Amino acid sequence: MSPLLIGPLATGAISGLLALVIALTDRVVNNYGEVTMDINGGKKSLKVKGGSPMLGTLGSEGIFVPSACGGRGSCGACKVRVLSDVGPVLPTETPYLTPQEISQNVRLSCQIKLKKDIQIEIPDELFYVKKYTAKVESIRDLTYDIKEVRVLLKNPSSMEYIPGQYAQLVTPPYEDIPESVQRAYSMSSRPGEPDHVELLVRLVPGGIATSWVFKYLKVGMDMELVGPFGEFRVHDTPAAMICVAGGSGMAPFWSMFRDMKEKNTFPEKEIWYFFGARSSRDMFFLDELRALEKEMPRFHFVPALSESKPEENWTGDTGLITDVLDRYLKGKIDPSRPKEGYLCGSPGMINACIDVMIRNAIPESGIYYDKFA
Amino acid sequence: MKNTRMEKDAHERMKPGVITARGFLGRDSRALSDIVQTDEETFRRLGLEFEAVADRLETWRDGGTRGLGEPVTLEGRWLARTGDARGVLPCPWEDGVFHKNSVDVTDTRSGDLIIYSDLSVHLLRVHHFCQGLGSPFRLDPESLARMMKS
Repeated sequence: MSPLLIGPLATGAISGLLALVIALTDRVVNNYGEVTMDINGGKKSLKVKGGSPMLGTLGSEGIFVPSACGGRGSCGACKVRVLSDVGPVLPTETPYLTPQEISQNVRLSCQIKLKKDIQIEIPDELFYVKKYTAKVESIRDLTYDIKEVRVLLKNPSSMEYIPGQYAQLVTPPYEDIPESVQRAYSMSSRPGEPDHVELLVRLVPGGIATSWVFKYLKVGMDMELVGPFGEFRVHDTPAAMICVAGGSGMAPFWSMFRDMKEKNTFPEKEIWYFFGARSSRDMFFLDELRALEKEMPRFHFVPALSESKPEENWTGDTGLITDVLDRYLKGKIDPSRPKEGYLCGSPGMINACIDVMIRNAIPESGIYYDKFA
Repeated sequence: MKNTRMEKDAHERMKPGVITARGFLGRDSRALSDIVQTDEETFRRLGLEFEAVADRLETWRDGGTRGLGEPVTLEGRWLARTGDARGVLPCPWEDGVFHKNSVDVTDTRSGDLIIYSDLSVHLLRVHHFCQGLGSPFRLDPESLARMMKS
């Protein structure tokens, strides 16, 4: 044998041997066998194959914990309470957990590998979350960058949900996106039509799910949804609802108001709805909401433009929606009536509205929102 | 140009599905050091400075924040919208984590549109990485030069 070949051959043999040792070690060391997951004190018990992250394992068993990043540990949404020992909080989890959550053993389910029997607590509502296949019935342009997507649920064929809840839209791999992605969208549809779901999707430049909806989603196509999720809902109190939204944040309110009218629920509640947009081309559902004002006298609609131009002939309120809200809370809404806040929009908008509401004597404990983008 | 171990690791983390579903490289198959070096040369040729551009991107981001999710016209020329998302993203070089957000700025004069995040600004300022060709979050030096030209 040529001496020149001895070096490369020896290196190859050693590399092969090392690879074999690593593979065998992995099979032995990382073989966790069957693991029992006890959920909510015996309410559900699962026998699963150990070794995988909890989030994906729960999903494969039909228990869908919300997640917006596909288990990469970058959204912090998939929190569960772990009651058995799974080791210390990982550095990848700490940015998302408050000291209180850490003291209560709240963990990110995407970061917990199932190595032994485990007990966890999740909100009971998650037992009712399902994955749906649906057929797109219509796609309507509400503005140049907001579409209403209406789907017919096929399997399961209906969804029970509360107005204000959201679903996760599942996008398939496309273009250079190698994996399926889920993003949360509030449902704008009425629960009174349980075989249909409507979502309002605003185009986010560079956004994976919104780009897919705008570019690839067509009428007649099948798609997947996971839901329902979320705590955002109308609270059964006599307090007036002060609702604020912008853009696709319209969705939960469009669902709530129509459901309240249809079922005449919470009849004592007065409703004020502040909707902010930059210009009149960003406004939608104006006619529908003004019609609702006529049909439901306790409903007051306040649309406002932040950058209206003279040629738009806008006769409504102007200014940032927080300024408009402040003016109404100070001068136009009965100050003696108790109030509660309902917000849907970007975290920045929600924080700014909370400040205005607190300054105007709405208790923070009575301000409700779902903060997501 | 030769890649260091750190650059090779960062390059791996920039691929789709690692830190973000889309990754940072677009359709660019060049080595990381080549991407950075080429953009540094373009910055020099165009008279741009990474610090100054990063500062301007942050100014536009802060201006867009005032719109509370809606676009805001800045100085009569740039239309900026700043949106937040849940969570944080680590830098591929592992030297920090950054709030997930998305800023889009349109120059109404030139028509250029750029999309970026707090992480993009860090990548530009500290690592001189504008992202790969074809990445929707790429901060193209030529576009930046047009947008910053008074």
